[in-house]
Formats: sequence, structure tokens, C-alpha cells
Amino acid sequence: MINTDKNSITYTQFVLIITGIQISVAVLSLPRKLAEAAGSDGWLALPLGFILNLVCSYIIVAVMRSCSGRTLIDTVSAMMGKWIGKAFALALAFYFLNLMYDGLVRAILIVKIWLMPNTQAYVLMLLLLFPAYKIALGGPRIIGRYAELVTVISCWLPFVYLFTLKYAHWLNLLPFFKEGFLPVLYAVKSTIYPTLGLAAVFILYPYLKNKEKAAPALFISNMITTTVYLFITIICFIYYSPHESKFYNDPIISILKTIEFRFIERIEIPFISFYLFVFSLVWIPSMYIVSYCMSLVFELDSHRTPLRVLCIVLIVGTFFYMPTFNQSDKIQHFLTWFGFSMEYVLPSILLIAITIYNRYRPRNAL
Amino acid sequence: MNVEPQEHKSGDADPIRIELTDNIQHVHRLFCDTTDFIIRTFTIKQTGEAAALIYIDGLTDRPAINNDILYPLQIQSDAGKPGDELVMTVGHVDKQSDFHHIETAVLHGSSVLFIHGRTYAYVLGTGGWPQRAIEDPQMEASLKGAHQGFVETSGLNIAMIRRYIPNRELKMKRLVVGERGQTNVTILYLADVMNNELLLDMEKRIQQVDVDVILNTGELSELIEDNPFSLFPQFVLTERPDSAASQLLQGRCVVVVDRSPSVLVAPVSFFSYFQSIDDYSTRWSIATFLRLLRMFAFITAAFLPAFYIAVVSYHFEIIPMKLLLTLGESRGQVPFPPFVEAIIMEITLEMLREAGVRLPAPVGQTVGIVGGIVLGQAVVQAGLISNVMVIVVAFTAISSFILPNYDMVAAVRLIRFMLMILATLFGFVGIIVGLMTMIAHLLTLKSLGMPYGIPLAPVKFADWRDTIVRVPLWLMDKRPRSTSPKQETRQNTSMPKEEQP
Repeated sequence: MINTDKNSITYTQFVLIITGIQISVAVLSLPRKLAEAAGSDGWLALPLGFILNLVCSYIIVAVMRSCSGRTLIDTVSAMMGKWIGKAFALALAFYFLNLMYDGLVRAILIVKIWLMPNTQAYVLMLLLLFPAYKIALGGPRIIGRYAELVTVISCWLPFVYLFTLKYAHWLNLLPFFKEGFLPVLYAVKSTIYPTLGLAAVFILYPYLKNKEKAAPALFISNMITTTVYLFITIICFIYYSPHESKFYNDPIISILKTIEFRFIERIEIPFISFYLFVFSLVWIPSMYIVSYCMSLVFELDSHRTPLRVLCIVLIVGTFFYMPTFNQSDKIQHFLTWFGFSMEYVLPSILLIAITIYNRYRPRNAL
Repeated sequence: MNVEPQEHKSGDADPIRIELTDNIQHVHRLFCDTTDFIIRTFTIKQTGEAAALIYIDGLTDRPAINNDILYPLQIQSDAGKPGDELVMTVGHVDKQSDFHHIETAVLHGSSVLFIHGRTYAYVLGTGGWPQRAIEDPQMEASLKGAHQGFVETSGLNIAMIRRYIPNRELKMKRLVVGERGQTNVTILYLADVMNNELLLDMEKRIQQVDVDVILNTGELSELIEDNPFSLFPQFVLTERPDSAASQLLQGRCVVVVDRSPSVLVAPVSFFSYFQSIDDYSTRWSIATFLRLLRMFAFITAAFLPAFYIAVVSYHFEIIPMKLLLTLGESRGQVPFPPFVEAIIMEITLEMLREAGVRLPAPVGQTVGIVGGIVLGQAVVQAGLISNVMVIVVAFTAISSFILPNYDMVAAVRLIRFMLMILATLFGFVGIIVGLMTMIAHLLTLKSLGMPYGIPLAPVKFADWRDTIVRVPLWLMDKRPRSTSPKQETRQNTSMPKEEQP
């Protein structure tokens, strides 16, 4: 059992943590991936992805509700034995480790390409992990506050993209479904990776103050994510021609090149630096979740030691090996399938298992 | 020397004797080699008893001793018998029979009357130590606020606060801190507003302080703050009775330390350091503008030199061509890398500032002239420092002067240097990481157990009304949530009605 009194998070914080994990680095390449899959119809896949996520959110909330205040891992342990519970925690840790590593690697690669080509990757890793360690150490409450603060200080970012509307060609979007419905359905696959992060609910749910509000909170957080993605994707599609948007690795950044003021050129440079705040919303909660799960596996009192080990391993590891962009793409591709099974398939199986378990063992029901 | 070792422990009693001569001898032993200590022996006319009055010259009010104690006791002659109540025209009279208490009382400015045959002495409140007049507060000048600042006597300071809140809910707790100094520390609070837990926490923290003496409120604040390693001040120190009263009304507690002209306010948040008492007496729109200006000034004071260094050494491509040419022209002949250039100027600025603080006012102006004209102009003409750098440093200095709180300015200075180093090493990424670390620190920092970043982290929009902006007074109907007060409603004024023509 965990003590959630001193670490409880509010409704808004819950929403923003989840949204933060979802958006972060994924937003960069989303327009390209959608364009690759379905051309300029790609954005139509986003509402479909939203519905898919909504279903998945409700399944996760249903699973958590049947745990009645305990963490999922406690429940699984009670249901199927200690070792399966630990295996589950380990799987969750591994999943979030991937998510975190992917976020960090992407952020470092982008920083290296656009800002600091000569700086070693492990130095950047050290820099990024320093504040992250301090926040992740604070637990859900501090992470929640951080997510809130980052949202407040970065809410001006979308408005800058409105400057690109000067060069917009709205006709790029027409006609809808120009190649039929199938490519759009196929593009839904591309929306899986950018919306990963719902599994954090497994860990964060017990900390939420008003647990009845978890479902509406997830609705809102998915809503925010989808709105942001729609906004960004449409901006990119109406700015680039349908073929062009496939050629830019990170259209979100490249599009900023067109914005120019008399006093500042190359606005993308300060922008990418500032984006680090948004990117950090994926690895900070993930670092917490990974170290928390590891502390459960090794039955430790706090997540401090695993967190330290994690940071050191990451820095030392980056010293020896740093993925390239293509390898990072492979990680993302892997995450699409791993995430799908962790966030869509696994909760459904769990829900069924818990329902069956509760039905057949009503005496010590969970 | 035949001095008994002084016992400071209050545990073992040291009662006074019946014989007056014994007492006088004992007092002599206690206060040997103390030339300002005075013993006056006489016979009380009223009762015919032998008596001795002891006090420390300079700590006591001479006219009071002469006119209110010695005169009535020696001249008035209503017949009485030994043991009668004495005629004295002193307000505060206390009977004590223990030498420890008597010693402390004498050292704090009371005079003590011993009478032959009585087993207690009279401690008379005749304190009158050197004290300056009430003046305009030096550190926190204000345009429209009151022109009274705290002085070095806690009694007067409390009275000044009480003048603003004549309410019986204004309670206080008196604690004595310091083995040798015996400093009176008073916690003032509004009993029906202040959160009990916070108050108890404060009391506990002050009680745990075990030092020789507390000379200043700043020392106390360092001994009781939440995170002693933080760069940020965690309590507001103010010299203004009106701002202390305003803080009390917001549900905070005020700690008055005797012998110190500033009082300590807790719990506070990061944004308390951007408030000034003038904000409430100027029009709300102006006050809001000033608040935002101060935030902006904080950001520039901390980040501008770092930003400049990052741009010049890493990201010059963000500067438009024309501006870049001007910049290159000015920087072209400078022999130093940007960081060294910036450090030289910043250190010079800090030196000028410190020099100005310590020097007397007439000489202080000379420092300004030397710094401003000689250094600023000559250094550029000699080609040692670029024009732009001088502008950056000057702008930074002005920004840091805007902030109303000295402690926060001091914190900003150090943060600026750290960010400069980060910017030199890693450009914008360094600045952002520095900012992130600062945010991480502010998120975990607490002031008296309350989150320091409130109302921005955690976000409390209701509190934004009197922190980030300053809304009209009739909209501030609730006390700030950051103090979790017992009584939330502050006022029920409605918006003043505009008369229809």
C-alpha cells in the first residue's frame, strides 16, 4: 500500500500530466507520419484516434476502479500471485523506460541538429537529467505542479504558429477522402505512438484526489491532445503542399523558418530551446514511474535509489552509445506496437480477468 | 577574584535574604567590575526600613528613578509600620524573590528595590535605554505609504503594528531566544485568521533555536528557514509597520525580534517579493502594470547577460543581418570572449554597488560618477568592452533596482552568474536547463511548510488577483489561499456604482 495523502494530485494536474506524456516529442513528427500514411487526408485520422483512445481510457479507468484504491500492481499480486505482480511491474517499468528513452533521445538529437552540433550527447543527457531528477524525486505532486507550470508558461506557443497562416493554402486540404477511406484508416496507426502515455493512469490513479472524476479527466486530456495535434497537423498541411510535408523530418520546427521579425531571425532556435520544457513532460513522469515500479519489484522503501541508478545508467550508457535518427525511428516503431499492447490490449485483458476474478471469488473481492 | 561562578540554569533557586547587607554583598559579587552598575542605599521615610535601589545607569530612565521612586520614598511621610505597601509612582511593579530573575531584570533595564526584612524585592519598570526616533524606513521607501519605520525596541514595534489593527484577535506569543542575549522574540498573529498548524510550526522552530544571542532578524530567519541551502529567501523581512499589518490581515504571522528594526513575515511565496505596500494605494491598473514590470525585471535581471552571451557565442544566426553588423563592429576590437567581457562588467557593477552601500552619501555620489562615466565611457573607448555589453549590464542593473526586496535582488545576482556560466558552456540549452533547475527548486521549496511557488505552482487562479496582477480592492474579497487561513472572507464591498447621467 502507498501513502497518497501527502502526494495527492488535483484534477487539473492529473489531466496535464497525461496530456504532457502524450504530446511531448511525438508532436514533432506527427504531421509527417500522417502525411506519409494518407497524404493530406491524414488529419482525418486524428478524430478516429481520439475515439480509440477514449475507449482505451475508459477501459483503464474501469480496471483501476475495480482495484478500489490500491495500486494495480498490488491488485495483480493479490489476484495472481506475487511474482506475476512483479512481472507486471517490470513490464510497466520497461514500457515507460522505452517511452522515456525515446523522449530523451529525440530531444537530444533535435538539440544536436539545430542548436549544439558539437556538444557530446552524454553531456546533453547529463544536463537534461539534472532538473529531471530533482522533479521526479518529488513524486506525483511535484510532477503535477511542474506539468501545470509548464502549461502556463508555454500556452503562448500555439499562437506563434498562427503567423504562418499568412502563407496558408486552405485548398490543400480538399478534397476530403481523396483516395478513399482506407488510407485514413491506415493512418490511425500513426496516431497510436503520439497518444501513448495513458498507461501512466495505472500508477497515478491512486494519487488522484477525486477518483470519480478520473474518466472525465481522461476525456479532457485526450481532448486537449487531439486538439493540439489537429491544430498542428492542419497548420502544416495548409502550409506545405501535400507532397512536401513528407520531406521534412520535423515539420513543426521547419515551419517556423518562415516566421521572421525585424529583430529576430531564425525564430526556431529559441523555440527549440523552449520546447525542451514541453519535451520534458514525457521523461520526467516516466522516470518517476520507472523508478517507482522498480522500487516495487525490489521491495524498496522509496524510489530514490532506482531513480539514481537510472540516471547514472542513462548518462554512462549515452557515453558509449547514442542512437541515430534512424535508430530512434526504429524505437518509435517498436513503441507503436509495444504501446498498443500495453495500453490497448493489456487493459482489456486485465479488465476481463478482474471481472471474472471478482465474480468467482466474491468473498475476498477486490 | 572572589567571584562565584555564574549559574545560568534557572533550575536551582537563589532566594534573596532577609538581611539587607547580605543582599547588597551578593549583588556586589554578581556585578563586580561593572562600573555602570549603581547601588543607592537609603531609609524609607514611610516605614523606617533600610532599603537599597540597584540599577544600571544608561539602561534606565533617570527622571523616573529620581521622581517616581526616590522622591516619594524619601520625602513623603505618611506614618506606617515596616512591611506596609510602599508609595511609588511607577506603573510596572513586580515582586521577585529569586536572584536569577532580579539579575535578568536589571540587565534588561529595570531597577530593583531591596528592603531590609522583606524576602522579596520590587522589580520596577524603569527601562529607558538609548533609542532612536521613528524614521522613514530606509530599505523600503514608499511614496504613499506611512512614513514610520520600525525601530530597535520590540515594544514600540508591536505598538506600531497594533495601531493598524486595534483588534483583540491580534494575539502574540513571547519567546526568549539566546542563552546570553535573552532576546525577546514575539510572534504576532490574528487568532481568528492565522492557520493554527503554521503557528505551532513557527513556535516550535523558534523554540529549537539555541544560540548565544540573536542580534538581528536576519540571523533568526536563517536559523529557522525551511531550506538553508537555497538561494532564495524564504521569509520576508520588512521595516514597515503598514506592510506587516497587511501581511497579518492576509493570514500570515509576524515575528518581532527585540533590538532589530525589521520583522519577519511567514509563510510567504515567491511572489510576495514582488509586492510593495504602495501597490494598494495607487490605482489598480498602475499597480498591475508595476507588478508585471517587476516580474519582467526579475527575468531580465537574471537572464539578460546569459542570453546575450548565448546569442553572441552560439546563436548569432538569430540576429538579423543589419543588427549583426552593428554588433560585430562594436565587438570586433574587443580582445575578450563574451563571457570574460560580461564577467568583468558584472563584477565591476557589483563592486560599485557594494561601494555605494558602505560609503557615506556625499562620497557615494563620487562612486556613481567614477563608475558611470569613467568606467562606462572609457572602457568602451579603449576597446576593452563592447558598447552592447555596457548596455546589457546597465539594463540588468536597472532591472535589479526595480525589485522591491533586497533579499530577492541578492538571490538574483547569484542566479545571474550561474546562468552566465551555463550560457557560456551550452548556449540556449544551458539557459533552459538552468531555468528548469530553478523551477524544479522552486517547486520543492517551502516557506513554513507552505509551497513557495504558489499561486503559479500549484496553480491557484484565485490568488493571482493579488500576486501576479493587482485587481481592484473590491474584488479582493478573499484572503490568499496560500496561507490556508481559518477565516477566508476578507471583505464584502461591492463594486462602486457608477452614477447614470
